Amino acid sequence: MTLLVARALTMRFMGLTALDGVDLELAAGEILGLIGPNGAGKTTLFSVIAGSLRPTSGEVRLDGTALGGLPAYRVVRAGVVRTHQIVRPFSNLSVRENVAVAAQHGARRAGDDPEERTERVLAFIGLEERARDMPAQLTLAGRKRLELARALATAPRVLLLDEVVAGLNPSEVLALAALIRRIRDEQGVSIVMTEHVMAAVMSLSDRVIVLDQGKIIATGTPREVVSEPRVISAYLGQVDGREQSATS
Amino acid sequence: MAQVFDLVLSAVLLAGLYAMMAYGLGLIYGVLRVVNLAHGGVIMCGAYLGWVLHERLGLDPYLALPLVMAVTFGFGVFLYRVLVCHLPRGAAGGPASLLLLFGVWLVLRNAAYLLFTANDQVIRTSYSTHSLPFFGTFLSVNRLAVLGLALVIPLALQLFLSRTYLGKAIRAVAQNADSCTLVGVDVERVYAITFGLGTALAGAAGLLSATLFSFNPAFGAGELLKSFVVVVLGGLGSVLGTSVAALILALVEVFAILVLPSYLTSAVGFVMLVLVLVLRPGGLFGRPVLG
Amino acid sequence: MKRWWRAAARAKLLVYVAVVALLAAAPALLEPYTLNLVTLAYLMMAGAVGWNWMGGFVGQVSFGHAALFGVGGFVAAHVLSSSSLPSPVAWLVGGLAAGSFALGARPTLRLRGPYFTIASIGLGEASRLVFTYWDWFTGGASGLSLPLMRESKQELYFWGLGLAATAAAISMLIRRSALGLELLAIRADVDAAGDVGISAPSLQTRMLFLSGAVVGVSGGLYASFFGFIEPNDMFGFDRSVAFVLMAVIGGLGTVHGPALGAVVFVLVQQSLLASYPELYLGLYGSLLIAIILFEPLGLSGLGLRLGRRIDARWLEPRRAAATAARQAGSP
Repeated sequence: MTLLVARALTMRFMGLTALDGVDLELAAGEILGLIGPNGAGKTTLFSVIAGSLRPTSGEVRLDGTALGGLPAYRVVRAGVVRTHQIVRPFSNLSVRENVAVAAQHGARRAGDDPEERTERVLAFIGLEERARDMPAQLTLAGRKRLELARALATAPRVLLLDEVVAGLNPSEVLALAALIRRIRDEQGVSIVMTEHVMAAVMSLSDRVIVLDQGKIIATGTPREVVSEPRVISAYLGQVDGREQSATS
Repeated sequence: MAQVFDLVLSAVLLAGLYAMMAYGLGLIYGVLRVVNLAHGGVIMCGAYLGWVLHERLGLDPYLALPLVMAVTFGFGVFLYRVLVCHLPRGAAGGPASLLLLFGVWLVLRNAAYLLFTANDQVIRTSYSTHSLPFFGTFLSVNRLAVLGLALVIPLALQLFLSRTYLGKAIRAVAQNADSCTLVGVDVERVYAITFGLGTALAGAAGLLSATLFSFNPAFGAGELLKSFVVVVLGGLGSVLGTSVAALILALVEVFAILVLPSYLTSAVGFVMLVLVLVLRPGGLFGRPVLG
Repeated sequence: MKRWWRAAARAKLLVYVAVVALLAAAPALLEPYTLNLVTLAYLMMAGAVGWNWMGGFVGQVSFGHAALFGVGGFVAAHVLSSSSLPSPVAWLVGGLAAGSFALGARPTLRLRGPYFTIASIGLGEASRLVFTYWDWFTGGASGLSLPLMRESKQELYFWGLGLAATAAAISMLIRRSALGLELLAIRADVDAAGDVGISAPSLQTRMLFLSGAVVGVSGGLYASFFGFIEPNDMFGFDRSVAFVLMAVIGGLGTVHGPALGAVVFVLVQQSLLASYPELYLGLYGSLLIAIILFEPLGLSGLGLRLGRRIDARWLEPRRAAATAARQAGSP
């Protein structure tokens, strides 16, 4: 069953076309990988779906309900939440309070008690020991988990992960990847994740779509997509030696 | 019809003054991302400085201009080095910079009250009442001089910013202060000098204003808000934008006098400010001040 | 919002009630002059605490709150003069009017930081000019007198105490509730707050109304207290500045700081006006500068530092010793 559908999403800022007629479909329970070279428009796509940006044209629907143009907080309350590439914890609140503030809205959606939800999410993500700490006291891996916990606390149906394992060492990447899989398996959340760490994307994704210069250039299983010539040249330049314009 | 022409002329002359005031505020905001709430206070200081020099030393205000600008420049540098540099930069500064500079303004006001009493003053020279004929009407010499200087000074500023090393350094810091430290620009020095330039422009505007209108220690609040209107409407870094915005403000004010009772005309500037901020924060030209 | 019941049940409330009870006994002990001063302090406390909900909790520093004080005051004065409704009703009506008037500034809420502040100066000054001109409402430059003094100064003391206590209680409840947490999140990062479902616009609007209403009620009581109000005093820029100063001196954004700041402000104002009236602007300006540079949380900040030092020097060693003794005692 298709959960999230984006049709013909176009985003233009001051002469630059960041997204050009992007179509995207996310099935319930799916993990969709979104890859592409730097500057391809991945974060812009997330911002448009999550409501931080209003698209120039096109529409986004969650289970039939239109999300286009809604402010971010409405989109979250409808069930679509995003994490940020550079984590943005509330620096003046403790770990627990960070999650609690998000759990308010999640509890309303899910119909449970906000305090219970907070404790459950903290335990699931593995942050109960650090609940009283301030975000500045956590390591980067800890703060990434906090970002994830906060998003999860909003009881989302769709989770948009923006380079969530970026900057982590290999063992941290493995741990976080396992957590992401558990989020899909145990919490029933459908996920779209963008990543540059190929190992993570390939092992987690059921399907992958490739974005280059605002357009989708390939979709398919991880293995299919990785061997497509267009994808390779988007990342590495023309195979026959002519350099494609750098998109970083 | 003749009345409309008169009014438009008044507006043009007034616009020059407003543009000068706006430059000082805009420069500091554009480079340091700090809103100088003491701007009104410095304008007031410029007015009093010029008045004192004229009353006590008989110095003609237009000749005193460079001196007043030098003093207010020094004051600005002092303000930066002693107070402002300690504030966190940018958005993190938030209420802190506003409150700090507001405090400075209060101190300036009090100093003026103590030194000069609360009475209205104005700089009256021997030629204050002279006017020159112009297309059937008369233009006061003072207003013409102010307009002339209001054209010359910003042009000089533009040249300074585009031709000199320091000017380019200022523009670079406005764009990306971190990168500037990487290429050897002394950012703190640039900030101090920019702040000084901003206050120098404010001081000049105050002096020129003093030749046209009366002032007292409470002077400056309205000027601060009007400067802000011009800065937001005109955008940053655009001389054309600032000039047009100043002209729009002046025209609205001048024609409002026809419609509104005199008491409320000062409210026009305030209302325009709120309207501009809420409806058109992106401004008309140049870099938008907001977002 | 059931959590606020739990918050109210905590021990701190007992201390709070005790303080209020003590203050209620004051009229028996104090002479009229001091009593009046304290009453005025209560009104300013309520105003400062109410201001702080916008300036400190939401983080939008307003230099235009005098407009709300004025609206509340003059509306209450009119109700008192033209009807026989009890005074508290008149004050509440003034408060509601002020709160509604504040909502007119709603479009400015999405302005960030300094822009909001400058807009508030514009709105405050524009209000002053318009209302002063509207002489039916304000009596023009000469002001409005209430035809009769309904309450004794003693009665007003208790009403003032009630208002200040209520405002402080609301402050405490907001801070401890989910709303308080959301406001803190908005202050930390308004966009990230939206990304977890927090609607900054609706929260800020609610606080704007509440802030305006409380400041308006204090304006109404002020009118009853003096029996005469005039627009330059009620709507003046100095009045707006006073609210800012009180909150900053006591501690911007803290729960009780503004109340403390208001007390200090009123006391200093009284003694200054007696001895050095011509220095008060400079004094406040220097105070602002000093606070911003050295202790941004004002008196509350100083109190916290002192508390931490006491803790470090006397309480912590005792705790450490007790722990060590316990460990030595166990087998």
